[in-house]
Amino acid sequence: MALPLLYTTVIGSYSMPEWLKRAKNDYLQRRVSRHDLDEMHDAVRKSSIKDQEVAGVDVISDGELQRDNMIDYFAERLPGVQIDLGSKRFYYDYYDSVVRSKLATGSLGLVEEARLLRRFTDRGTKVTISGPHTLVKRIQNQHYASEEAFALDLARVMNLELRELARAGVTDLQIDEPYYSGFPEDLPWAVRAINAMVDSVDARLTLHICYGNRYGKPSWEGSYRYLFPTIAEAKVHAISLEFARRGDEDLQLFDQFRLPFALGLGVIDVKSHDVESAGVVADRIRRALEILPAERLIINPDCGLVHLPRDVAFMKLCAMVDGTRLVRQEVTR
Amino acid sequence: MIVHFNYGLQTAHKRLDGSRESIADLTGRVAASLATLLQHGEVDARTLSTLRIHLDWIQYRANFRDPVIVRRAIDAEGRTLPLAEIAIDVRQVDADRLVSLLADAQKTLRGRPAGGGENRPLVLDEFRPLRDTIVWRFGRLYRERLADWEAAFGAGCDARPEEGTSDVDHPREVADSVGDFWTLLRDLEAHGRLPPEIYVLHVGVASAARARRWLDTFKALEEQYGSEYYSRLKVLLGVHSQGALDAAPSAMGPHGPIASVVPLDPMNPVRTLSFLRFKVLYVHLANVYTHLPFDELVRRDDRVYVVEARPYVSAATALHLAKEFGVAETELPALVQRVLLAGPDGFEDRGKGMAFWRCVWSALRLEERFRAIDHGEDGHVPAGLTLEHLDDLLEAAPHDIRFQISRGAAESLANTLPLLHPRGYLQAQDIFVSALDEYRQGFRGPGKLDGAVAAWVNGALLRAVAVRAGYDVHFAPFRYRADSKATILYTTQRD
Repeated sequence: MALPLLYTTVIGSYSMPEWLKRAKNDYLQRRVSRHDLDEMHDAVRKSSIKDQEVAGVDVISDGELQRDNMIDYFAERLPGVQIDLGSKRFYYDYYDSVVRSKLATGSLGLVEEARLLRRFTDRGTKVTISGPHTLVKRIQNQHYASEEAFALDLARVMNLELRELARAGVTDLQIDEPYYSGFPEDLPWAVRAINAMVDSVDARLTLHICYGNRYGKPSWEGSYRYLFPTIAEAKVHAISLEFARRGDEDLQLFDQFRLPFALGLGVIDVKSHDVESAGVVADRIRRALEILPAERLIINPDCGLVHLPRDVAFMKLCAMVDGTRLVRQEVTR
Repeated sequence: MIVHFNYGLQTAHKRLDGSRESIADLTGRVAASLATLLQHGEVDARTLSTLRIHLDWIQYRANFRDPVIVRRAIDAEGRTLPLAEIAIDVRQVDADRLVSLLADAQKTLRGRPAGGGENRPLVLDEFRPLRDTIVWRFGRLYRERLADWEAAFGAGCDARPEEGTSDVDHPREVADSVGDFWTLLRDLEAHGRLPPEIYVLHVGVASAARARRWLDTFKALEEQYGSEYYSRLKVLLGVHSQGALDAAPSAMGPHGPIASVVPLDPMNPVRTLSFLRFKVLYVHLANVYTHLPFDELVRRDDRVYVVEARPYVSAATALHLAKEFGVAETELPALVQRVLLAGPDGFEDRGKGMAFWRCVWSALRLEERFRAIDHGEDGHVPAGLTLEHLDDLLEAAPHDIRFQISRGAAESLANTLPLLHPRGYLQAQDIFVSALDEYRQGFRGPGKLDGAVAAWVNGALLRAVAVRAGYDVHFAPFRYRADSKATILYTTQRD
């Protein structure tokens, strides 16, 4: 499917309704059955897909509302990771999880989930996966000799899943690595793990690096300067970074360093309920165009929309699409 | 009849008249008085079967309660429900008058208020949820006109005691606070994450005094160990009265160049300081939450009610005020509104305006009733929470309970946390209830402190607000002064 210049996409998650949070908590308290919760998840995923389509986003996700958080969803599925199911009462908390032996090779079940997305949209489809660095920081390691060894083995298992997703027709795959910004010293081996993970995967690949969005607030502050030049070694088609909340000072880094991939430009602040106007979005894109050509820009929010109220999330997506259209007209005129 | 003891019975309490009658004796008197009334046919046996007697010990010397009050319950349409309560402040009640006071209460319960029309209290406003009663407007007036109040009546609760003896700027507490902050800065620096500008926010009545001492201590530490943090500090004093705004700059002394005074709505700091979202490393609030509006909820027999209150002054006070200020009694409610709108300047003679303000405030009482909450009604739910969160709180609460929804404090917290830097933290020094059960063990307000409303703050509620924002809150007793009731709430990041 041909995408327009400056195509728009999401980072992954869509607004989590209060009632779903409650149902997830009730599930943990055994007051809601797995079957009922799955039905709710399906319904809310379909509605997320529809919202993104109506907003006019080019490449969409399923909203990821079936995921409690970006760790547990994968920890539960990774063969060889043991989780203590009694260790959380609030859905958004993390399970206590540990790896005590080498990870087995097996499906994470994402392909089945991607089928629902593909069945309910004819837009470009995106599936996101938490990256090995992020998972290594959250899953207790009692087996591997080092974090790097653990990350590389995670990458091996996840590589198979990414290949399957690509084979199933998912057009865009994104690896989320918010923990880079908290542990910049890990970057060399973290990028090696990314490269192992994306090896021979036939899809558009994006590496998303933000400053965290846990509870709708950043986990770290600082500059993206730490990424350079190491990040240039990542074998991906794009990296997506947050600029709307933090300001676009770091855009200069793309002038200083010639990178072989595109930039996913964060133009929507997902930590504020104030809805940007299309004009503000357009200005943000125009400033990026002073540094990078339109062919190397993808337009997206700073991060997932999970912590925003649904109406706010929807209006922000609309503003993103409208603002992008304004600039697209200028560029293609 | 159910008797509720709403305070600790072990402590020997000295009543306002100086007597030390034991709780057992007093309770016996209450039971005997009711039995007497029953015997004389002055109590309806049916009423007695659903009656609840509450024995309170109101520690605030000035408060909004008469010694014996009656509470009825109504449904959402205003129809009277069977629930009825008589509450007795055992600290101030004249035990020898118990029989007659309870007889009056019984008459009121049966819809036949005691005394003739000339003894009826003068009602100043209609029934409203506590959050909307005029007591908060009095409190706001007091904060805004603190200097006028102190000039006219002397300094009170907010006055500066001897240097360094206040809980707000206690030298040892401040030293510990600076030490903790210093440790954080060292850690950030060690990891190359020290921001170029180090933002600190102090909010509260005595924020300038505390900030001054805090900065003195910080500078001394810097001189002792050598660092370059001080020059990067940007200290903000959030104040909400003109007097504090005027006085704060000079109070900062040599730290003036790094300190800024900001007029701040204590309920919504992030509105004024939105440019500091996720940038402030340390927020300290002192005695802020205690003065912010709250609601009260009551659960009896599985039904939840919101407390509504109606302000009044006694008939004798109304008569006195009318004579003293040369107006008809019927004009008094309008005169009160005028003071609340324009302050003492609403009078031609400002001095008279001040006197009227204080007289009314001093005599102000609140009549209470319980209004059953309809399913789905959410007017009592504070910002930062939903009805479901409140349900969770109630689920974990004791079955039979009356507690405060510190909505002002909750809103303030919800609107302050977004200022915090990812490694930042908030401390609030105030008087907290950390678990709901504590509401059954003592009176938690409201009381009067000078011209302001004061109450304990529902820490359990703040805990729920903070969790939603990604923080845990903890409560540490103020250990720097013996007998201090203050507690320090502090936040940590949720994982």
